[in-house]
Amino acid sequence: MSDIPGGPMANRPVHFIWLIDRSYSMQGEKMGQLNYAIREAVPEMRSVAHDNPAAQLLLRTLTFSSTAQWHHKVPVPVDDFTWEDIQVDGMTNLGEALQLVARELQTPPMPQRALKPVLALVSDGVPTDDWKSGLAALDATPWGKKAVRVAIAIGADADRDVLQEFLGNPELQPLDANSPKKLAAAIRWASTAAVKAASQPLAGSSDALTKQPYAPPVLDDDDDDDVW
Amino acid sequence: MSGPNASPWETLSVSVQGVNKQRNQDWSAAEGRGTTEEPLILAAADGHGSAAHARSHVGARIAVDVFTACATQFTQLARPRGTDDPPSLSWLMHYAQHTLPRRLSATWREEVLRHWSRQPEEGEPALSDEEKVLLYGTTLLGAVLTPQLFAAWQLGDGELTVIGEDGTAVLPLAPVEAELGDETESLCTRAAWRLVRVHWAPIVDPARTPRLIALSTDGLSKSFASDEGFTQFMTGLDQRLDDEGTEAVSSVLPEWLARAAQHSGDDTTLAAGRRPNHRSGTDR
Repeated sequence: MSDIPGGPMANRPVHFIWLIDRSYSMQGEKMGQLNYAIREAVPEMRSVAHDNPAAQLLLRTLTFSSTAQWHHKVPVPVDDFTWEDIQVDGMTNLGEALQLVARELQTPPMPQRALKPVLALVSDGVPTDDWKSGLAALDATPWGKKAVRVAIAIGADADRDVLQEFLGNPELQPLDANSPKKLAAAIRWASTAAVKAASQPLAGSSDALTKQPYAPPVLDDDDDDDVW
Repeated sequence: MSGPNASPWETLSVSVQGVNKQRNQDWSAAEGRGTTEEPLILAAADGHGSAAHARSHVGARIAVDVFTACATQFTQLARPRGTDDPPSLSWLMHYAQHTLPRRLSATWREEVLRHWSRQPEEGEPALSDEEKVLLYGTTLLGAVLTPQLFAAWQLGDGELTVIGEDGTAVLPLAPVEAELGDETESLCTRAAWRLVRVHWAPIVDPARTPRLIALSTDGLSKSFASDEGFTQFMTGLDQRLDDEGTEAVSSVLPEWLARAAQHSGDDTTLAAGRRPNHRSGTDR
């Protein structure tokens, strides 16, 4: 009697994509701290995923320098995800990276049945290619338009205007990470808050009142930390 | 052989809370017998539930109550009174497509603002009416059936499923393109009445009256790996109602919906009306 009629049931995926700047300007402590911060954030991502068992959190990483390439191309379930350190190399071809992501956010390969994807962009510099075309391609995809976007600006040289345009919402601000501690906090926030935001229903996608941003953390200034 | 309306419609309405949710933000109602005197009225609402819509569980309840009142009024308008003819079908259709959605939207807004004035948030800064209404955001599905007509209304996500006399399932209010993710249209949107989708189906041949009408919140459809899986659930539900009866199915439905809620993560609600004697005639 209790056999449920109907086809198989399944949780819905949340696709989380890191977009990481690995240009030469990231050399040294910045890249070292970024690798460390993301590796340290993985257990917290797992924790968030376990708190929301109806969503299946899948991770990918795309890096960009003189070219854009997948660091993890196949979506990896968060429980199986291990961070492999990224090495610096070349320029800051953000546009190419956004083009690559846009291709992945077409339907297919993205399923119709999913929660909003999360795009987390981390950069310390100024794009060296046609980033506007890449952003336009991303915005033209159905899931790209819906994606929860977060942006982390590392150091004083990061182009905040570009990151702001990537966010596509004047109520959201790039998160400044000018020191190792702030970078760790920013990565932790991007890893968890954005996943939570992706699975929250919101009314009336065209209604500005409902576009409540997920609040970024207030990052304390710390005197004993290096500043980039 | 008995006619299709010889036995009154039976109703069932079940709602279960989503996994890890603090409260169930859905609400539903199923009443009536599908007769002129007691029309079948079904309603289901899905409060949005996020922090931006902190009172959506109240909004959903008000939406169901307001729809039930509007639908009752509509069915009374459709009834013959004394020697007077009932209004024409075209008049009723215009009412269903234009007047009722406006009334629904306006009354819901009045009621949620009234609720706010009765129970304001202490210590909160003064909110505009738009901000107050936003707190109550909800979807709404509603349906009405009398011996003469079947009509349904939908604002936002969720499904109206109709099983026809031949056992075929259709979703007459399904959007051409489904919303991706969890975004939905809502009663809290400005001029929400413009977003209401209407299904209008006068019953010209009683033998072709639907045999099952089901409203469900998206917690059910999103639990299935595919759209086909959901449709199969509805045809399977219809079959089980036939084989085992409404009472028996009502007793296991909470278990089914709880399983669905584990996969969708959402509150999951189903309100349905079933015509028990649809096998009258040759196939019995």
